[in-house]
Amino acid sequence: MSRIVVTGIGVISAIGNTVAENRMALQDGKCGISTLSLLPSKYAGLMPFGEIKITTEELKQKLRATEHGITRTSLLALHAFDEAIKDSQLSHDEITAIDTALIGASTVGGMCLTDELYNDANKNEGGSEYLSSYDCASVNIYLQERYKINGPVNTINTACSSSANAIMFGVRLIKAGIVSRAIVGGVDSLAKFTINGFNALHILSADICAPFDEQRKGLNLGEGAAFLVLEKEEDAANKKIYAEVSGYCNANDSFHPSSLSDEGDGPYLSMKGALEVAGLTADKIGFINAHGTATENNDMVESTAMLRLFGTPPAFASTKSNIGHTLGAAGAIEAVYSILNLTRQEVYAGLNCHQPISATGLVPVQAYKKMPLQHVMSNSFGFAGNCTSLIFSTI
Amino acid sequence: MLYIHQSTCISPQQTFLEVDLNTVHASSDNKLKVIEPTYEGIPPGILRRMGKAVRIGVGSALPLLKAVSLDGFIIGTANGGMEDCIKFLNQIIQYDEGLLTPGNFVQSTPNAIAGQLGLLTKNKGYNITHVHRGLSFENAAIDAMMMLHEYPSNNYLLGAVDEISAYNYNIDYLSGWYKKEMLSNKELYQTNSAGSIAGESAVMFIVNGDETNAVARLRGIQTLHTTDENSIEKQVNVFIQKHLPDEEKIDLLLSGENGDNRLSKYYTVVESSIGKTTARFKHISGEYATASSFAVWLATQILTTQKVPSHMLQKSGQPSIIKNILIYNNYKGAQHSFILLTKGN
Repeated sequence: MSRIVVTGIGVISAIGNTVAENRMALQDGKCGISTLSLLPSKYAGLMPFGEIKITTEELKQKLRATEHGITRTSLLALHAFDEAIKDSQLSHDEITAIDTALIGASTVGGMCLTDELYNDANKNEGGSEYLSSYDCASVNIYLQERYKINGPVNTINTACSSSANAIMFGVRLIKAGIVSRAIVGGVDSLAKFTINGFNALHILSADICAPFDEQRKGLNLGEGAAFLVLEKEEDAANKKIYAEVSGYCNANDSFHPSSLSDEGDGPYLSMKGALEVAGLTADKIGFINAHGTATENNDMVESTAMLRLFGTPPAFASTKSNIGHTLGAAGAIEAVYSILNLTRQEVYAGLNCHQPISATGLVPVQAYKKMPLQHVMSNSFGFAGNCTSLIFSTI
Repeated sequence: MLYIHQSTCISPQQTFLEVDLNTVHASSDNKLKVIEPTYEGIPPGILRRMGKAVRIGVGSALPLLKAVSLDGFIIGTANGGMEDCIKFLNQIIQYDEGLLTPGNFVQSTPNAIAGQLGLLTKNKGYNITHVHRGLSFENAAIDAMMMLHEYPSNNYLLGAVDEISAYNYNIDYLSGWYKKEMLSNKELYQTNSAGSIAGESAVMFIVNGDETNAVARLRGIQTLHTTDENSIEKQVNVFIQKHLPDEEKIDLLLSGENGDNRLSKYYTVVESSIGKTTARFKHISGEYATASSFAVWLATQILTTQKVPSHMLQKSGQPSIIKNILIYNNYKGAQHSFILLTKGN
C-alpha cells in the first residue's frame, strides 16, 4: 500500500492569512483572540473571539468571488483552498479530473447569516440571495462549481471533529482506489448561532482561553479555514512532500451529547486506534497538538486519556489559545500546524497556562523550541462524543 | 463488498415493521409526512427532548440494534434537526441574544442522530455523519463500502434521515423547489410545472461483508455534480459497464422523477439509455435530500417480493425476474447518483 502524503497546504485564521503568516505568528506566540469588530453581536464587547479582521466584502474583492449568494464561510474556504492547490501546483486538469475528490467539513455553513436565515426560514414570500447557501454542503458545492471539480465531493459534519474526519475520509478514498488525490479540509466562520449556542452551554470564557490551566474558564470561538492536498507518494515523486498521513481513527465516547466521560474512553480509543493504523507504539509520538479547548471538561478528560495511553505523555500544547476554537475548521487548521511542527522540527508555546491542572500535573509546551520530531498526533473531539485522532509523519 | 441484511424505514407510507406498499397514503398541503410509530424502547425522558429528525432516526434504528453487534454508525442527513436549528435561531433573534437554553442547539447538530445511537447502545466504534445535501446518503454508503473493505468482518448501521420542517419547506419553497399549486401526490407525474412535493423519511440498514442470507448486494454507487444531461447519459453507460458483467442486465430502473418539469430531461436520458421497465417513487416519498435512501429500501423490498407495486410502474407490465435494480436520482438538477443493487443469494 502506497503512503498517502500531503503536497499542499493552505490556511487562514485569526493569526494570519497564509501558512507563512500563521507559522510566523505561532513562532512568536501571537494570540489572535480579541474583541469582535466585524460580526455584530451582543457579545461583541463582552467576550473575546478569534475573528479574522478582513471584512466579507474585502474577501470577495481579494478572491474575485462575487457570485450571487456567496457567504463568508465559502470565502474563507476558498481562500485556504486556493493557497493549498497553488502550493501543491495542481494543474487545472488534475483539479477537474474524475479521480480528484473534494472533501470538506463545516458546522456552520451559511448559518453565519443568522438574520437572513431567520427571515428566509420564517417567510413564505420574497427570499434573499442566500436561499441555497445556508446548509453546510453549500461551501463545497461552491468550490466544486467554481473549480469544475468532477470527482467525488462530500461534506462531513460531526461538530468539532468534522474536518479531522474529512481528512480521514480523503485518505481512505485514496487507499480504496476510488480516487488518486483528494483536497480535504474544513471551514467555519463566526456566527451568532454558535456564539449563542456555546454561551447557552456556559462554556465560553470571558477571558482569553487558557488550555490546560487549573483556572481555565472555557473556550473562545474562532473562525478560519484550512485545506490540504493529499496524494499517493508515487504520484508526488517530483513534488514537495510535507508529511505522510500515517494514522487516523474515529471513536465515540458515547457518554453525553455535549461532554466527555471522566475516563475519556473516546479520546483514548481514537488516539490508540490512530497508533494502530500507523503501526506505531505510543512512545514514537513526539508531540501532540491537543484538542485543548480550555473547557473544564475537555482538558481534564483529554489529559486523563493521554496519561492512560502514554503513561508519560509527550510534549503537547493546544493552539486554541492562539486562534480560538474554529469548530469545523479546527481539525484541518491543526493538521496544517502539525505539519509545520514536522517540517520545521519545532513546537510552539501553548499560551496562558500558568498553573497546570493539579490532578494531572501536565504542563503544555511553554515556549517555542526546536525539537526533533518524526510523528505528530493531532486530536479533535466533538459533540455527541465524536473523537478523531490523526498522525502525521516525516517522509 | 457491501451486503444489506436487514432494514427498517419510517416514511409517509406504511413501511415500518408492517409493510404495505399497495396502499398509497395521500399528501397534504404538498407535503408527505412520515407515519410515526409509538417508539417503545426510547426512554420517555430522552424521547421528549428529541426533535423529529433525531426521533425518527433513532426510532427507525431501534429494531435493528438488538439484531447484531454493531461496529459503528454511518449516517447521511442534509439538514439533521432543522426544526431544532431554527427554533434556536428564532430564540436568538426574538430574545435578542439573551439567556437561552441549549437544548435545541445541542439537538441541531446533524451528528446528534448518530451520536444518540452511539449513546443509547454504548457503542464506541466509528460514528460519522455525511451532510452533502442531495448526496448525503450516497456518501454514507460509499463510506460503509470502504469500511467493509477495510474491516471485512464488521457490521455497520448505514442510514439516512431528513425531516420536513416549516423552515426548510419555506426555504426550498422560496427557491422554487416545491410546487406553487396544490396537488395530490397521485397526480405528481401528470403536472407540467416546476417544483415537487416535500417528503421525509428515516431509513436504516444493517450492512456487512457476508453474502450469506443477504437481501441485496450494493454492487456500485456513483455520484456526479453536473447540470448537463448529456454527461448523465454518458456516465450511466460507463457506470453499468463498470459494475455489471456483460451477461447480466438491468431488470428495473427505479427513477427519482419528481414532477419537476425542469428535471425531466435527466430522467428521460437515463430511461432511454436503460430501455427497461421504469418504476417511480417520489409520489409516495416526496422530494428531499436523502430520498435515495428510501429508494434503496424500496429496492430491497422489490428484490425480496419480486413484485413492483403497480402504482409505481410508469407503464403497466411487471418484469418477470428482478435481479438487478438501477436507481437513478438527482437532487435539484445538480447532484446525481447511480446505485446498482443485486438480489442476494
